[in-house]
Parts: sequence; structure tokens; C-alpha cells
Amino acid sequence: MSSFWSGWVKFLIVLNLGITLLLFVWALRIRIPTQHDGTTGHVWAHGVLREAVRKLPTWWVLFSIGILIWGLSYLVLYPGFGEYQGTLGWTSQQELERDTLANGAKLEARFSPWRDLSIEQLATDRDATHAGDRLYQDNCAACHGATARGNSVVGAPNLVDDDWLYGGESATILASILEGRSGVMPGWEGVLGRDGVNEVAAYVVSLSGVIAPADWVAAGKSRFDTLCVACHGADARGNRAVGAPNLTDKSWLYGGDFASITQSIRHGRNGVMPPWRHRLTADQARLIAAWLYAKAPEEKTDAQ
Amino acid sequence: MALNHQHLEKIEKHAGLLGVLIAVMVSLGGLAEITPLFVKAHTVEPAPGIKPYGALRLAGKDIYVREGCYQCHSQMIRTLRFETQRYGAYSVANESVYDRPFQWGSKRTGPDLARIGGKYSDDWQRQHLLRPRSLMPDSNMPNYPWLELAKLDIADIQARMRTLRFLGDPYTDADIAAAPAQLQGKYEIDALIAYLQGLGVDNVPATTSDLPAVPGDKPGAPAPQPNDFESKRNLR
Repeated sequence: MSSFWSGWVKFLIVLNLGITLLLFVWALRIRIPTQHDGTTGHVWAHGVLREAVRKLPTWWVLFSIGILIWGLSYLVLYPGFGEYQGTLGWTSQQELERDTLANGAKLEARFSPWRDLSIEQLATDRDATHAGDRLYQDNCAACHGATARGNSVVGAPNLVDDDWLYGGESATILASILEGRSGVMPGWEGVLGRDGVNEVAAYVVSLSGVIAPADWVAAGKSRFDTLCVACHGADARGNRAVGAPNLTDKSWLYGGDFASITQSIRHGRNGVMPPWRHRLTADQARLIAAWLYAKAPEEKTDAQ
Repeated sequence: MALNHQHLEKIEKHAGLLGVLIAVMVSLGGLAEITPLFVKAHTVEPAPGIKPYGALRLAGKDIYVREGCYQCHSQMIRTLRFETQRYGAYSVANESVYDRPFQWGSKRTGPDLARIGGKYSDDWQRQHLLRPRSLMPDSNMPNYPWLELAKLDIADIQARMRTLRFLGDPYTDADIAAAPAQLQGKYEIDALIAYLQGLGVDNVPATTSDLPAVPGDKPGAPAPQPNDFESKRNLR
């Protein structure tokens, strides 16, 4: 604050408090001439209402003095009077720092015993999974849903089934949370054409037991074997290294109906899980992973 | 004392004079609090990393204002632990030098958006703008279905940028020349998503990226914790 504006603020404060004080003192001392009936002679409503003169009530006087003292004390203790910082040296940043450190100490006391446990062990600790649940609801439910069953409108995977895109080991879950994931499937409309897309889609739905036209399935398989195997694998069971989903099961990221599958093939998909390491501490991420771990059933051994 | 009851009577009996004197007293607080900041606002330098909005984000910002997003969403994280814990580092004045008008807001029906950028994927933002309840069943945010139907108006983007340059935003001639091409074929929702995804991204203090790499899951190993105040402030 420049000295001019500091002076400006000081001037206005002195002016304001000065006028207030003046009016206050004056109102206590002023003598208003009264008529013989004790009123001032001011009348309203043709003499029905007459203005009387009363002393200011004591409570009002004391209350006003109190407010004045409070205001002056505030200006002495806290910043407010121009560039004067106040005798307490209070700043909102310091208060925030104090609060944050105090809360950090409380969190530290709560988190430190959990640091000695693995995520698998945490998953059996009711306190830890309860905290993980709360953290999940605050941070993850917007995409994966309150029950962690995913949301096909944004391709957010179900987190409590036995199907993992990148792997269900505790370290992998933790990496997914902190570092995020990006699953890119390119669009194949230009390569496959309309018929090609239908044929591949027919083959894909046939993998999970849906009856599809045999000629489409056969033609789709040959196209699949040249174009899609690179990511989804020859057996179409996906590839966790790139997060390519298993196409032979009944879990679908973007919906398993024919229209959704042709849409995925035609235009591709871009599934992004943002990294959360800037928003969650490692302790918090471990608790979320533990909660998921507790909720997710054991993986089937035949899944890749 | 110079003042006597006749002065009082004069004020009491002249409504105009009474009004003027009341206005003078009431305006003292405003003169002390607003005028210095109003003058000072023109001298605030942008924070490091803060650049004027690119054409697409600028168009998005104007849609944000048009749709009245500020009526439910603030862009101002206060210096309170409950805020920094939830939204990230508190906002400072030099982050919003290129916001004309600023979008600090004064009401939160929805959450603060000052650092929403990158929190969710582009797909999520699109879906959430069009149909919020398809993601959050209990959300009370309205649907904005027209955003994906209307193409961006590219006719006046250059005029808008030139106006901002006149006001002091450092757009170059090349920036302005390239603007229409950046908006070509884009829809309003694309611009709004670009704007939202940029909020607070450039200006989050650098300490947040200094976290150790993923710790893995080694029992017994101390989990890395930010222990200085700077990173705590930024982390929550």
C-alpha cells in the first residue's frame, strides 16, 4: 500500500470515528428546550402525536461506548489503519498455515499406524476402509459412481468386479490412482468402412456368447486378426500393459450392445483417468486402494 | 459547543439534507476499502505462468459468463483450511488479471472452480455439462444441451481480442490473426471445456509437482509426506 493510500485510509477512519464520537458526545450533552407539557412542540397528525424529550437509555449509551472501544481495539490489534499491521501481527496466511499444521498433526496421528501395513492388510482394517470409503466418495465417485460400479457414459470402469484393465494388484491400483491412466483406442471407420465395422462388431459380440450372423462373424474375425490383435490380443482377452480391455467377458466400458460397440470401433475411445497425485497424498491414495481392495472380489485365475 | 439543537432541528426537518449526510457517512467505508484497490488493480502484474486466454479458451470464458455459471460457482479459494483442503492453494489477485470481468463470484451452489482444470477428463466435462445427473445422480446443476448444438461464432473473436488488447492484454498480431482458425468447426461446448480444463492449471504453484514418484506398496516404508508448509498449502 502506497503512503498516499495509507494516508487516505487513515484520514477516512479518523474522519468517520471523529464524526461518530462527536455526535455521540453531543447527543449526550445537548439540551433541547421543552414546552410546559414536556414536549418539544413538534407535532404530527394535527397534534395527535407530540415529540417528547427523553434521556438516552443507559444500556444504549454503554453499548455505544462498548462498540467504540471494540472498534478502536480492533484497529490497534489487527491490520486496518492504513499500512499499520496491528500489534498482533495477524495475517490470514499465517492463520491458514497454523490451521493446516494443526490438522496435519491430527492426520499424522491417524495415518502413521497405517503406514506399516500393506494395502492388503489395510483392506481388513475397518477403520482404514471406512476412511478410504469417505475419501473415495469425495474424490472418485464423480466418475466411478458412489458404489464404484463405474459409469459407461464416460467409460469409467467398474472397480468392484473381477475385471481389471491395468491389473488388480495393490501397487497397480495405487499407480492408477496417483498417476492416472490414458486408454486410447483409435477410430477404425476409415480403414474398415461401414461393412467392416459391422463385421468386426459381430465378431466381438460373438466372443461373449451373443448369437451373430455367421458370415459377419467369420469376416470380422479375419479383420480382427489383422487389425485388433495388436492391443486386444489374438484371444481378444486384452492387454494390461496398454489397458486394452478383455472383449470375451461380459463387462463393457462403454456398453456391450451392438450400437455401442460399433460406435467404439468406428470413432475409437479416449478413456482418461486424470492423475490424482496433486490432489491426494500417498496415505490417502493407499486408503482408497485398500477400500477398493476390500470391495473387489478375488480375481479369477483364468483372467489375464 | 458550536452545535446546538437548532442544527439538529434543521437536519431533522429537511429530508434532502438528511439524505445527503447519511450518504456521506455510509460512503466513508466504501471510499476507504474500494478506492485504493480500484486504483491498485491496474498495477497488479500477472502471476508467473499466467497468459492471456487463447482464442478457444476466451470464447469458452464468454460462454461461461453468458450461461451465468458464476451465479452458482465461485472461482475464489479463500485462505481457510477447509477451502485449501478441498480446492487447492488459495487464490491470489494476480491470477485473475486477464479475467474481464473476473469470475470470483460470491455464491456457491456448486463447488469452487478456480482449480478445476485437469481434475476430470474432457469426456467427463462434456457429459457433465450436457447431463450432470448421468454422472452425479443427486446433482442439481441444470442440463446445458444447447452447448453441443451451437457452433462457435468466429465472426467477432478478433474484435474481442483487439478490445482486450486495447485494455492491456498482451495479444500479438499473430495471436489475433490465428484466432478464427482455432475456433473453426468447434462447438460451444468445446470452448467451454477448454476454458474449464485450463482453470488454475498454469498458476498452481510449482511445489505441487515436486511430490515423490509413486511410492509403490512397501510395508514399513514411510509414505512420502509433504512436510513443508508450501506443499501442504497446495495439497490440502
